[in-house]
Amino acid sequence: MAPEVMRVAETPADDPQAAATLARSLGPGPFALVVVFVSPRAPERERQVRALSRDLAPAPVIGCTTAGEIAAQGYAEGMIVAAAFPAAHFAAEPLLIPDLSSLDAQAVIGDLIRARGALARRRPDWEHEFVYLLVDGLSAKEDELASLLSPGLGATPLFGGSAADGTRFLETFVFHGGKALRNAAVVTILRTDCPVKVFKFDHFRPTDTRMVVTHADPARRTVQAINAEPAAREYARLLGKDPGQLTPFTFAAHPVVVRVGGRHHVRSIRQVDENGDLIFYSAIDEGLVLTLAEPLDMADHLAGALAGLTGAQRPAAILACDCVLRRMEAQEKQLTGRISTLLRDHGVTGFSTYGEQLNAMHVNQTLTGVALYPPGAAP
Amino acid sequence: MSPRSLLNPEDSPARQTDKLLQIVEVLMRRVEQGTDLSGAAYAQFERAAMLEEQVRARTRELEAALDLLNQSNARLAAANRETEAARRNLADAIETVQEGFGLFGPDDVLVMCNSRFGLQLSDIQPALVPGLSFARYVELVSGSGQLSLPEGVSAQDWAVLRLRRHRDRSTNFTVALKGDRWLQVSEHRTGDGGTVILQTDVTDIIRAEREARGRLLDDQARIVRATLDHISQGVCIFDAEARMIGWNERAAELLAVNRTRFRPGLAFDDLAGRLSPGSLRFEGLRAWVGGPTPRQPLRFEVTREGGVVLDAFAQEMPDGGFVISFTDVTAERRAIAGLSRANETLEARVAARTLELGEALAHAERASATRSRFVAAASHDLLQPLSAAKLFLASMEDEDLNPRAMDALGKTRSALHSVETILDALLDISRLESGRLSVRPQPVPLGPLLARLAEEFAPIAADNGLSLRLRPTAAVVVSDPTWLRRILQNLIGNALRYTDRGGVLVGVRHTQAGIRAEVTDTGPGIPEADREAIFREFHRLNARASASEGMGLGLAIVERASALLGHAVTLDSRLGRGSRFVLHLGPPAEAPAAAPPAPPVPRPDLPRDLIGLLVAADSDMRRALTHLLDGWGVNILDVPDPDEALALIEEIGLPPDFVLIDARAGDEDAGLALMQDLARRHGPLPARLLTATRAEPLRLRALRAGVPLLYKPLDTGLLQRFVASAARRD
Repeated sequence: MAPEVMRVAETPADDPQAAATLARSLGPGPFALVVVFVSPRAPERERQVRALSRDLAPAPVIGCTTAGEIAAQGYAEGMIVAAAFPAAHFAAEPLLIPDLSSLDAQAVIGDLIRARGALARRRPDWEHEFVYLLVDGLSAKEDELASLLSPGLGATPLFGGSAADGTRFLETFVFHGGKALRNAAVVTILRTDCPVKVFKFDHFRPTDTRMVVTHADPARRTVQAINAEPAAREYARLLGKDPGQLTPFTFAAHPVVVRVGGRHHVRSIRQVDENGDLIFYSAIDEGLVLTLAEPLDMADHLAGALAGLTGAQRPAAILACDCVLRRMEAQEKQLTGRISTLLRDHGVTGFSTYGEQLNAMHVNQTLTGVALYPPGAAP
Repeated sequence: MSPRSLLNPEDSPARQTDKLLQIVEVLMRRVEQGTDLSGAAYAQFERAAMLEEQVRARTRELEAALDLLNQSNARLAAANRETEAARRNLADAIETVQEGFGLFGPDDVLVMCNSRFGLQLSDIQPALVPGLSFARYVELVSGSGQLSLPEGVSAQDWAVLRLRRHRDRSTNFTVALKGDRWLQVSEHRTGDGGTVILQTDVTDIIRAEREARGRLLDDQARIVRATLDHISQGVCIFDAEARMIGWNERAAELLAVNRTRFRPGLAFDDLAGRLSPGSLRFEGLRAWVGGPTPRQPLRFEVTREGGVVLDAFAQEMPDGGFVISFTDVTAERRAIAGLSRANETLEARVAARTLELGEALAHAERASATRSRFVAAASHDLLQPLSAAKLFLASMEDEDLNPRAMDALGKTRSALHSVETILDALLDISRLESGRLSVRPQPVPLGPLLARLAEEFAPIAADNGLSLRLRPTAAVVVSDPTWLRRILQNLIGNALRYTDRGGVLVGVRHTQAGIRAEVTDTGPGIPEADREAIFREFHRLNARASASEGMGLGLAIVERASALLGHAVTLDSRLGRGSRFVLHLGPPAEAPAAAPPAPPVPRPDLPRDLIGLLVAADSDMRRALTHLLDGWGVNILDVPDPDEALALIEEIGLPPDFVLIDARAGDEDAGLALMQDLARRHGPLPARLLTATRAEPLRLRALRAGVPLLYKPLDTGLLQRFVASAARRD
């Protein structure tokens, strides 16, 4: 039997003994790290996380709130999911970035490099390494943070997700040290003897319809005018829709992309403000040329992409950050069942995000994650 | 989804222009400002995206490079594994070799060796490790305490010799080790100039060989001893220093020496001195023993007191020693002496008898020669007048005579023919007996020959009222045609002569033994007692026939002629029933090429003014020939001798058209000389020499002189042909 690379447990969000249930389900440690994905519906989420931290100590427990969880049966909601990394195969060093509004780049990079060095000294025989980022999804600081972290990464790949709050967009938390934190991020360096592969899937194709952002507020990720017209109205016109019918499902199905360095990157629209502005999930600026994109078949694309992760060996487990817009598209197109089956069959665990990070980039509408292969295998 | 226009078509142109200006303005600002502070977040994203792309590209390259590196590493590892495996296999292989195995590289440095390499040289074996040079190896071996160096050879000498051997492509030698152990060393050059050394312990083999040889020598010594004691010869064996090392009792016996004197180490000189003082023969032996080696074997005979004769034989042995053997030949010598005395007596008697026989033989030969000469001379002298008589008769036949005279003439001719036949037979016998007759064997078709004989004898058979039958044949045999014809002629003639009624059958039979010609008659048969006698000359059975029919010479000729030709004659006869003579002619032969048909005899259609010169000493002959030629209308100048012939031709001043010279026996060369004289004055003239001498040398001499022979008794047909040819010459 293949060695256990990642152990997963889940319990309903309203389970009063959630922490105990999870600790029991995870079984005996020791664990190098436990990540919890907590539904925004969970009452007393901070108490549960604190209890879990205490139960699993000395294993660090980190986590975040979600827009839905990915658990044993695929897409799930209203759950607390815990993913534990056995100390037999992993060493982890979580770093808290407590205040995203006053980032000290040098300090963060220094901490990151020192942490990586410490891990490398602790486990020089394990040659695989990746960085996992959990960040407040309403901070609008992900682009800056990802960009800031990259000098400290070296060759180590980074992926992560923005904490979410269902579809309410009110408050998002990351967990660290038994606390629920806002406007914060947790950067965790993992060193392992399991070969790893960090990946990013998206399933869009640009169309010929383009537009120019003529007025925007980059700090608030808000676009007021497109093509010198109110943004929502112009977006609706280009789609051929009534501006009053724009919903999150419309945004999920019709993202816009920017072309940078010969590639297209999705800039997802989060919501329409009362005044007709468009609020984005990621950084935006005036003078950008946005291209309307159309989606490919999501399920087919995912099946192919997941199959592509199996090279010489099938991944033993996958830790993923899945954009909430994908979950919405699956619902809109009634693909939730197929997608869930695919996620379950490939052992994917994770949560639905307000945005994903890959290396130095903050992106939207992707499935980003890490595939973990049995120790000694070639990915 | 079709692309939507950047501008809303429903807008007014002014509004559209205004929007375009705003769009252009914002785009220009972006281009100009790049990233300002307000858009820092997006700019960070943009940089990250660009970076990501570069990293992605770099990563791809790195991965490719890594992949290549891994592949080459894998290949290197595989190659290393193979090399290691090959080395291990080789090491395992050489370890399984029973011999000591060492491999030196082309640089003469030890590459590898197995655990048995140098095992016998235990004091130096630990030093025999890869990296060792060949020179050092030899030095180590030569200095090994285990090595048993040959006497007078130092370790350095040995090393030098060993290194010299190393220069050969391949060498093989055996090394002696202490404790009677032996090592065989084989050295071979490998393809790349390295050297393989195999060391085989051959101690067991060498010891076994030595034991076998020792046993063999013991066995041989026993056999030699037994042989020495057994043989009747006395034997003494000496070593290279001429000291006795072996002998047998018989030697002491034969040499009459007290056997206590024989002892090992006895010097040859002592022994020789004791034997027979002053004997020259033994002095010779001493010289031989003292002489330089190698010595040739020496054999001599010595007579001991008491008349004992010893045959002594001394021979050198390969080691420089020698063996002397003595044989008592007294009895043999006595026997030989007796034999030689008997031989002398016998030889004297044989000589006396040979003398007598020689005289008798000479006498017989003289008698035979006298008889042959007499017969030849008599025949010749008889032939002369006979020729004349025949010529006279021939000329008379042209005369107009009365019937009685014609009858007498016919009888005369018949009588003369008989005489001529008898004389021919006598001449034949004389020639056959003289042994000087030459026969020319050649393929002879029997068919034509027998046909002619049948034709010849048909009238005689008819006269006697007998049948003469001949079976046709295509047989061909090798024989002399003339003499074969004569033999058959005589056999047929004889058969007809002695047969009263019935007839004669001539046939040819092919048998396993060859071709047989058979003449079978229905005559009275020949009694057993007479069967040898009939082959003697002048022997006739039942002498019924007249003298004209022969004198009993036929079978004598048959016997002699067939003996000469190598044909056997056998007789098969039953009294009162008939006889059969069989001539055995040997195997059949190839038919000869068909001879051109003989030219027809020309008619004597001669010109009237033809002049012939006839030289004949015998006046009868001269007259007879003149008479004959006159009858043919030829003018004949007849003279008795060459001188007159020359004088006459001189007087006339005209050469004759032809010349005939009748020569007496032994006088033929005078005729040839005359023709040379005539030819000198008048050029070559047609000429014939008439002679009764049937000798081949004369025939050839005459031909060369341009004067072919015409034999007597003269065949008028041949003469006529000659004269006609001379006439046509003009």
